[in-house]
Parts: sequence; C-alpha cells; structure tokens
Amino acid sequence: MIPSILLTDSCDPGLITVAARTPGGRVEVRPSEELAASIGEFSGLMAVVVYSSDAEVLRSVVERGRLYRVPTIVACASETHCQAALDAQADEWYTLPASVEEIDRRLWSAARRVRAADVAEANRLERVSFEGLLFDSGTRVPTLPVMIERTRAVFKERGELIVFYLDFIRSAKIEEVYGWEKMDEVLATTADAVRAFVSREKLGDARMTLGYTHDDDFIFFYIPERERQGASEQEITEVTRRLQRHVGARLEEEHGEDVAAMFDIYVGSAPVYHDPRVRFERLIYRAVREAAHTARSIEQRQRSRKVTDLRRLLHDRSLYVEYHPIFSAENGRIFGYEALARGVARTLRSPEVMFEVAADADLVWELSRLCRARAVEGAAAKLDEGQLLFLNADPHDFTDPSFGDFESIDPRRVVIEITERTAITDYPAFRERLNALRERGFRFAVDDAGSGYAGLGSIANLEPDFIKLDISLIKSIETNFIKQNLVETMVGFAREQGAMVIAEGIESAAELDTVKRLGVPLVQGFFLQPPVRGERRGGGSAGEQAANGDRASARAAARRIRQAGRQLGRGK
Amino acid sequence: MDGEMESSFSEPATILVVDDDRDNAVIVRDLLEARGYAVVVAGNGDDGLAMFDETRPALVLLDIMMPGRSGWEVCRSMKEHPTHGRLVRVIMLTALNDWSDKQAAIQTGADDYLTKPVGFEDLLTCVKRNLALVGPPV
Repeated sequence: MIPSILLTDSCDPGLITVAARTPGGRVEVRPSEELAASIGEFSGLMAVVVYSSDAEVLRSVVERGRLYRVPTIVACASETHCQAALDAQADEWYTLPASVEEIDRRLWSAARRVRAADVAEANRLERVSFEGLLFDSGTRVPTLPVMIERTRAVFKERGELIVFYLDFIRSAKIEEVYGWEKMDEVLATTADAVRAFVSREKLGDARMTLGYTHDDDFIFFYIPERERQGASEQEITEVTRRLQRHVGARLEEEHGEDVAAMFDIYVGSAPVYHDPRVRFERLIYRAVREAAHTARSIEQRQRSRKVTDLRRLLHDRSLYVEYHPIFSAENGRIFGYEALARGVARTLRSPEVMFEVAADADLVWELSRLCRARAVEGAAAKLDEGQLLFLNADPHDFTDPSFGDFESIDPRRVVIEITERTAITDYPAFRERLNALRERGFRFAVDDAGSGYAGLGSIANLEPDFIKLDISLIKSIETNFIKQNLVETMVGFAREQGAMVIAEGIESAAELDTVKRLGVPLVQGFFLQPPVRGERRGGGSAGEQAANGDRASARAAARRIRQAGRQLGRGK
Repeated sequence: MDGEMESSFSEPATILVVDDDRDNAVIVRDLLEARGYAVVVAGNGDDGLAMFDETRPALVLLDIMMPGRSGWEVCRSMKEHPTHGRLVRVIMLTALNDWSDKQAAIQTGADDYLTKPVGFEDLLTCVKRNLALVGPPV
C-alpha cells in the first residue's frame, strides 16, 4: 500500500492539495496534544505535519514518528519556531506561507531521508548477521557451522575426526591494563599462530580446519589419513604439547613476556567416529563439549598446582626482584628504580598471575610482605646515592600493621605506588594511615593515573609526590592528539600540586620524543632500558659482567633521552 | 589541487562528517570542500556507519551527542572495522571538555577531538594534522 495519509494539527488547504496528488490521499486533523498518540492509529501514514511550536508536542511527535518510521515535518511561522523544529530534530521544516510545491518538496525530502536510514540499517544488519555468523570479525576465523560444512564430506570418507579445543585462559587484568585493542591483537596473534601450526605440522598429511567459538577459545579438527589406524593417544598428547608451546612462543615474540605471561592455553581433545545413525552436527557439538571439558579439567588441575607452587614460593622465598629504572627526561640520569617481583617458577613469573593465585588462596598479605622485603633487600646494592626505590602497594596492604617496617632502607628513599584502579573503601582510615607513613618520610605515587574516568580530583585527594601516567595514555601517543592533550593537562596539574609526572611504558623513540616535548620530567620503559635483575646468579665474574652490561645499557638509554626531541626541534 | 592538502594520496582525501545538526554539517562540508577535500555527510550514526563502509574515508568528523547510536558507539564500530579500522582517523566533536569525555574518546579509539562550537581555524588545523598522519593505503 502506498502511504497516502497526512496527519496534521491544522487544516491547511495547501496540505489537502498535496494529499490529493497521491491516489487515495487524504488529510487527518487532530489536536496538537493528540498528534503523537494518533500516529499509531493509521497504517499508510505518509507524514506528520506539525503546526504547533510547543516543544513538548514536537518532541513527542518526532519520537513517535521515529518509532513508526513516519517522517515529521514542521510548518514554521517564525525563526524561533524553526529553531524549535531543529531542536526537536524534526526530519524537515518549511516556513509559512508555503507554496504547494514547497510543501511537496519537503514531504518527499523527509520521506527519502527516513527511507534511506531504514535501508542503511537493514543493509548493515543483514551484513553483520551474515558475516558475523560465518566469520569472527576480529580474527577472520570461520565459526563452527562453517567448519562443519567444510569437513562433512571428508569425514564421511575417512570415518574419524579429532576435535581439539584450545581453552584460552587470560588474566582478568589484561583488558584492564592494556585495553581491548591489545586483547584483539592477542587473539589475532593466537589465530595466526594456530593457523601457522596447522599448515606447518603435516601430522601425517592430516586435514585440519580452524574454528572459533566467538568467545576467546579456538577449535580445530584433525582428520587422520585414511590408511592409518587412527591417531594414537600418544600422538594426540604430543600434538597438544607442541601446539601449546608454539602459541605461547608466538605470543611472547609478538607481545613480550609480560603480556604472554598473562595467558595460559589448555588444550583438550575428543575423538569423533562416523555413525550413520547420528547427525554429523550433533556428533561434532558433543565432541566440542567433551574436548572443552577436558581442557577445563586440565586447567583446574593446573590451578591447584599453582597454589601449591605459591605456598612453596612463600616458604622458600623463591622470588626474585627486577629493578626497572626511571630516568630523568632532562639529563638522562637514573632517578630511581621500580621494584618488580617475579616468581622463580615459570608458572608464577608474572606478578599479576602471582597475585591472582594469592587472592584465590587468601595469601595476598604474605605475598605482598615477601615482595616488599625482597625489593628492599636488593635495593641496598642497586641504588646509588640519591636514587629512590619505587614499591608497588595495594590499598589493602596498608591495613597490614607491619607495612613500612623496613630496617635496611631510609623511608625517605622509598616511594610507595598506589594504583588508581583499586577502589579505596574506607577513605578516612586510608588517609590516616597514609599520613602516618608520610610523617615517617615515605613518599607516594599514584600509579596508572588517568586510567579511569575519575579525572584529577581523586588524584588530588591523595596528595601524591609522583603521578605515574597509565600506559594506555602513552601507547602510540605520537599519533593520538587526545592522549597528548590529557598528558599535557596532567603535567600542568602536577606542577600545581607540587608533584612530578612519570611516563611509564615507553616503547619507542616517537613516544619518548612526544612525552619529552609535553614536559614530562620522568620516563620509564623498555625502549630506554628493560628491568634489570637485582642480584645475579653465580656472583663473581659472571655477576660483575652482568652488572657491567646493565651500566652500559643505562648509558645508552641516557644518550637516547638526551637526543630525544632534537629532531623535532630542528624540524620546526 | 589545493597546495594546503597534506594527504599523501593523489586523490583528494575523503572526509566523512557525521552530525545530526544539519546546519552544522553543511557549514563544515562547505568549508572543507572549498579547501579541495571530498566531503560526505551523514545525519546520524547508522547512516555514518553505512557511508563509512561505502566511501572508506581517510578521516571522520564525528559528533558525540546524537539520537540513537551515539558517537562513542559509532567510533568504536569504525575502529573495529577489519580492514579500514586501522587506517581511518576519527575526530570527535564534543560540546563537553572534561577528563572523562576525553578518556572515553581514547577508549573508543578516537584520535583527536574538537570542542564545539568549532572555529574554522581549529577545524582546519585539526584536519590537516590528522591527514598528515594517514599513511598510504596498505
């Protein structure tokens, strides 16, 4: 049916003429206040033409018009009336008096706009649902239904298939610390790694297909050669192990040890045998569930093993400390070191993982104490005159009565880093404790500053001596003008507060150039110098050699810092 | 071609303007077209996304406060586009100017922002500095 009815709140002869041009066209008049409600009454509504300038009437008509996909046109008697039409986001308007041609033109233009929006949305939805159903948008990996179709014929011929399920366990912190873009990148790397593994590993000329479950887990099918007896248990275990290693290595290569350590991959598998009585899809889905279950139970076992590892770590104090230098952006000298605890056991290498395991096992205080103690022990040998030791602390640590009882270091050389991410529940008590520590000479840094929406107020509340910018603000800052603006704001704010800004996570010359240009006084990051081990194993000449290496790399960093920004300056 | 353009493309860079305020969008379009840029305009987020897909602009000027799909959502969808997401520069147009807004802009993947009402000089500076960072098509 062609929409032919014009709904309006004024009996304008012009409208009647326009309506008469459409076959069966007519005008329906309702009081202004009832216009919106009347929209639903008619099928075949061409448009609503509003003469009222009442903001409420306009708003409700436009809103309801959107719902029913009916364009709203406002007939305006004055400038302010036009403004009201614009404010209400009407689809069109014309000024009175208007010729029949003018009214006609506006009606069509409004109708076209509504239709175009409809078509665009319908196209988009169709595309999204079609593509999203078949391929994951981020990794371009096919979804399970696609895999099933691709495998059906071969499976029928060979009669056997093994489903591998990669359970991808990530630290809850990964997206929080590095952002969703990082997570997407990591998933893309994983997909590429699995793809490469699949094409490289011939597995007796087996056929593999890769799939994706829309979460962060991956699936692939392995169909053994026809002449063979089928995959042995041992062969599957072997493949699993190699796959795990391969993906882990690729993640580390691509994203560094810190990011890689936040992931674990568990692989489960389940065989499927051809059974003409059961639909292929059901066999596959059942096997996927089984394989996932196997992967999960391996993960459970690993998790309880990690708790055991942590208890052993606490008992043996098998924790080493790396010191990540913080440089002065002005002269390239080492201003201080941030202590980073790492587990000796590979499963507990990452501090994030270590603390997550500790939280599960209710061992956070013990672990925190050990980390601080080890950091302070190693600092004596590491710190030169005037250099500061930056220690990470959680607000919960503050309730530990022994917090801050360090015998071997002067509190005035210690900066305690408190992350902006953790919610502080009991603010007055927290501040009281903070002030007591301040009186003893400790200084404070707000870590991950600017990571949330809280802004500067919450930072000011803590009266920090240092403000450590969140990594998300530094990553690719040279091409992001919003980040540059935020960092500049923070530098100005810090200056007013008598605090110093530290830019951490600097991974490139361009990032260093930019933060230096924005006036950030302190810099830290892998581009300058990676964290260095406190005490070197073996001691003697080996230890001496390593220490020499660290000194050389610090000198190189100082050179880079002094050179940073020069190119920029010359360019202008 | 206008010597002021800093895009590395030989074709004029396409700029997509997404703003529900038509008057505003038209002013911006006329100004940029006068400088030799190719400009397409969309009146809401959905149209904006459809046009983004169709025209693959080098740069998007995106209003935040729009009925329906907000500028945040639109920006994120553009940046998540499998092929063009990494290439496009998105400039947010905002009436607000506080920390949380800019933080939200970063998290949706935006590259730059302009505060409303937008001055012509600011607009041109902003467009130029962003197009200067657009690499050749991969």
